[in-house]
Amino acid sequence: MSVKIGGTELKFENIAKHYGSVAALQPTTLLVNSGEFFALLGPSGSGKTTLLGIAAGFIQPSQGRVLVNGEDITGVPPERRNIGMVFQNYSLFPFLTVFKNVAFPLEMRNRPKPEIVERVTRMLTMVRLAHLADRLPGELSGGQQQRVALARAAVYDPAVLLMDEPLGALDKTLREEMQDEIKQFHAKIRATVIYVTHDQQEAAFMAGRTAILNHGRVEQCGPQSELYENPRNAFVAGFLGEANLLQVTAVTPLPSGRYRIATSEGLSLTAAAMPPEAHLLVACIRPANVAILKDSHSRTDRFSATVIEAVHAAESIRYRVQIDERCSIVVRALATRGADRFQPNDRVTVGWEPEDVMVMPK
Amino acid sequence: MSPSQRAAWFGAAGRVALWAYTAVILLFLLVPIAIIVIMSFSDQPYLTFPPPGWTLHWYAAVQDQPRWLAAALNSIRIGVPSALLAVFFGTLAALGIARSGSRWAKPMTLLVLAPMMVPHVIIAIGLFPTLVDLRLINTYSAVVIGHSVIGIPLVFVTVSAALRAYPASLDLAARTLGASPWRTFMRVTVPMTWAGIASGGLLAFAASFDELMLALFLTSARTETLPRMIWDQLSFALTPALAAVATLILALSMILLGAAAVIGSRKPTPRRALL
Repeated sequence: MSVKIGGTELKFENIAKHYGSVAALQPTTLLVNSGEFFALLGPSGSGKTTLLGIAAGFIQPSQGRVLVNGEDITGVPPERRNIGMVFQNYSLFPFLTVFKNVAFPLEMRNRPKPEIVERVTRMLTMVRLAHLADRLPGELSGGQQQRVALARAAVYDPAVLLMDEPLGALDKTLREEMQDEIKQFHAKIRATVIYVTHDQQEAAFMAGRTAILNHGRVEQCGPQSELYENPRNAFVAGFLGEANLLQVTAVTPLPSGRYRIATSEGLSLTAAAMPPEAHLLVACIRPANVAILKDSHSRTDRFSATVIEAVHAAESIRYRVQIDERCSIVVRALATRGADRFQPNDRVTVGWEPEDVMVMPK
Repeated sequence: MSPSQRAAWFGAAGRVALWAYTAVILLFLLVPIAIIVIMSFSDQPYLTFPPPGWTLHWYAAVQDQPRWLAAALNSIRIGVPSALLAVFFGTLAALGIARSGSRWAKPMTLLVLAPMMVPHVIIAIGLFPTLVDLRLINTYSAVVIGHSVIGIPLVFVTVSAALRAYPASLDLAARTLGASPWRTFMRVTVPMTWAGIASGGLLAFAASFDELMLALFLTSARTETLPRMIWDQLSFALTPALAAVATLILALSMILLGAAAVIGSRKPTPRRALL
């Protein structure tokens, strides 16, 4: 079975996995487009690794089908799926040199030796490790080992490349370098990639679309900008970036077409839109959308507040302000030159527009 | 004495005591072996210590007696197949238990290790009637089966140790790269664990080579091993020839144990050749 690279779409169709009475994955349908860089993002135990294991063929789903270009591969063992996988711990064979590690999948496919030498050399050149071909994995740094793993998983033009937190074991600087590297690598080979991570920024940087998983369920799936601007529920809102989440206790439609909202903290807010139906609602206001107002500024919702914490974090300043004794919210202000700086105990006025108040199911 | 002086004094005294204790233990372990080796060079026709004079006569005498050679060949003829059987079953048991994740894995471990704890005489008493029923008693097969029982836990222990440095994700990686389960075993599992397998095999051979109790029950005059022949000789001819044979067995055992230790501690070596 040979599938043309960059021409493979992968579909999870109503896939679920139960271990006894525990549901590791609720029924899930996802379509990963051909050549797409698709991220599975979620906290640990959210089911993202289960989904990846089902794609790889390590885990048999309790129900549903896995389709590659429309062909059902649910019962096909891993070695006949033509997928590549990169593991968090690299999983290089410690007793084989870098060259032999990358040659392994081609040997398993009984390719002729000249072709193996040519393809392995080309791949090692692509990940800039040709000069280390004779080393053992144990003699390489973590980043180099992960590049070998990448080369090994891609050298046979797999239909789909699966990555299970491939950068989880690296320190921050190296991780950012490798993010660039993997992104460029994907641009070159144009394979369909499914990338598991719990790091939201990593997913934002690398993936075209992201599926957010929680408790074995896909909460929302789409480009990160959409997930950030239109989170479907409180979990997505809180998981992607910062959010002030306020419990909604009452909603009153206004003649203007807007809504008056009362929160359990005792605030009264104006919202521009309501979700179609749900009993438990929260209002979400992004800290970056909260303005600290001068008198000349007008905002629909205005509250006087006291600064209780000010943290300078490079490009921005994160304030925590107390509106009344039951309610504190977070404000993120850009640390531009000439911007006002506030100290704890300063009295300020904060405000926002109805469009900044996103109301969603809990 | 100040408190710090007192602490230093106790520290020094403690170190001296520890060294003395270690020396006593080593003496206790090594003196009987040393005495046997020394007695094998004695010029007296009976076992005495310390020997009044020295000779290599007894080594020549051993060489001249064909029965010793026959017994040595029997020991090898029994040791090699029982070590191979132990390698086969011990390796499979170690792999199965390491990879199962079942709650029965722990109890199974104890079961596999049991022959190491159970007195050999008990194993012999258990095997004897079974092998009689199977009409195998006094054949090579009988003692080969018996010795593979005591070899299995040794292989199990060394292979289990090798598996601890072997993440299961290596197998998964091989599978995604296109290796069938059988090729994964041959191309990944065996290279990852061969040091444990080989050192376990050597230990199993050494255990068979030194074993007396099962040999007493399960061998005949035709299949007698070296330890059994030493035992037989003890009852009527206590000559230094016995000490000479014991010294030779000791030397071989030391070589095997040394080899097992060296192999067991080896790091993987690069296969540098391209293909």
